[in-house]
Amino acid sequence: MSPPRTPEQAMALLDRESCVRYGPVPHELGGRECGPERWVMHDGAMLLRCTSGFGFLYQRGDGVTVERPADPDPGEEALWLGGSVHCGIAALNGLMPLHASAVAHGGRVYAFTGAAGAGKSTMVAGLGQAGLPLFCDDTLLVDPLGPDPLMALPGRKRLKLLDDALTMTGAEATGEVGADTGKHYARPLGGVVDQPLPLAMLVFLEEGPEPRWEPIGGGERIARLEDDHHGQAMYLAAQGLGRAGLFALRTRIARQVRMARLIRPRSAAGFAASVELAATHIRHDQQEFPQ
Amino acid sequence: MTAVLAKAADNLSETAIDEEIVVMSLASGNFYSLTGTGRAIWLLIDGNRDLEAIVAALAADYGVAAAEIAGEVEAFVSDLTAAGLIRHG
Repeated sequence: MSPPRTPEQAMALLDRESCVRYGPVPHELGGRECGPERWVMHDGAMLLRCTSGFGFLYQRGDGVTVERPADPDPGEEALWLGGSVHCGIAALNGLMPLHASAVAHGGRVYAFTGAAGAGKSTMVAGLGQAGLPLFCDDTLLVDPLGPDPLMALPGRKRLKLLDDALTMTGAEATGEVGADTGKHYARPLGGVVDQPLPLAMLVFLEEGPEPRWEPIGGGERIARLEDDHHGQAMYLAAQGLGRAGLFALRTRIARQVRMARLIRPRSAAGFAASVELAATHIRHDQQEFPQ
Repeated sequence: MTAVLAKAADNLSETAIDEEIVVMSLASGNFYSLTGTGRAIWLLIDGNRDLEAIVAALAADYGVAAAEIAGEVEAFVSDLTAAGLIRHG
């Protein structure tokens, strides 16, 4: 039996598998039709079709083929490649995508999760202002095939922020995302970490009247890992995990990763207070659980 | 002597985390968090005890009369049975 792969090997694999070439892409995979804005997986491959006419086919060991529409939007292409296609490649190679943005501190990863629009990117950009470097934006890959502790891989997606988030976090806009998102690519003030690190904490972003931090304990840590984001659905499809396998995986994550809720009002003042609260707890975590 | 109670091991996954036991039904995907006396009853369902023996053991552990808790234990066991997590027999 071969030893478990190292995170560096997982990163190299992901790089190799993400090679892109251009050409025609089918409309079905393994006998299953792929509708617009849908994906299909079959036998180590994933097909994704978009309403705009983009098509993406990933085949394990063979990289990604992109079919462009007549008038392609390069911004949209980059979004698909860095989003759903990236998640599918990761999932088919045993890496589990979590819907989270993260910062690094003291050699560990602190991730923030929540539904789309919950403020994940803005939170990590705000923590950049507090000196914590960005680890990933929107998609956090962990490697359940590797040994303990559970390792996370640094993100390949650039940070994307709306105008108000740029203002609140002081991040520098570096270009338009395009594709009608209204977002800008941004360089966070705290810099970026590009090496794999163990995942220490998962923080759930919620809305409420006063900034508050509440640790999550016991079985709720397992239940909280239920995620309806497409990344997790791709991982389950790719790995063929049944309920027992999924429970075992979530149990492993819940035992290793501390969890908390960060409740805060969605206002500029509430944002500043919540960033300060998060930074305080991250620094406190380092003292309470020294490596 | 009533029927012996056993966990439906082929229909569940369970794990202990902090002070809880979390059980997932493989049939429904539902989670059950067992704490306190629920956890204690679950640990007493070992394939050797019937309901009466479980009530007696729990009463001894908590220093109460069996008659005081029998109804609640029976109701809890009924819930576990309905969820497909235990079998009688």
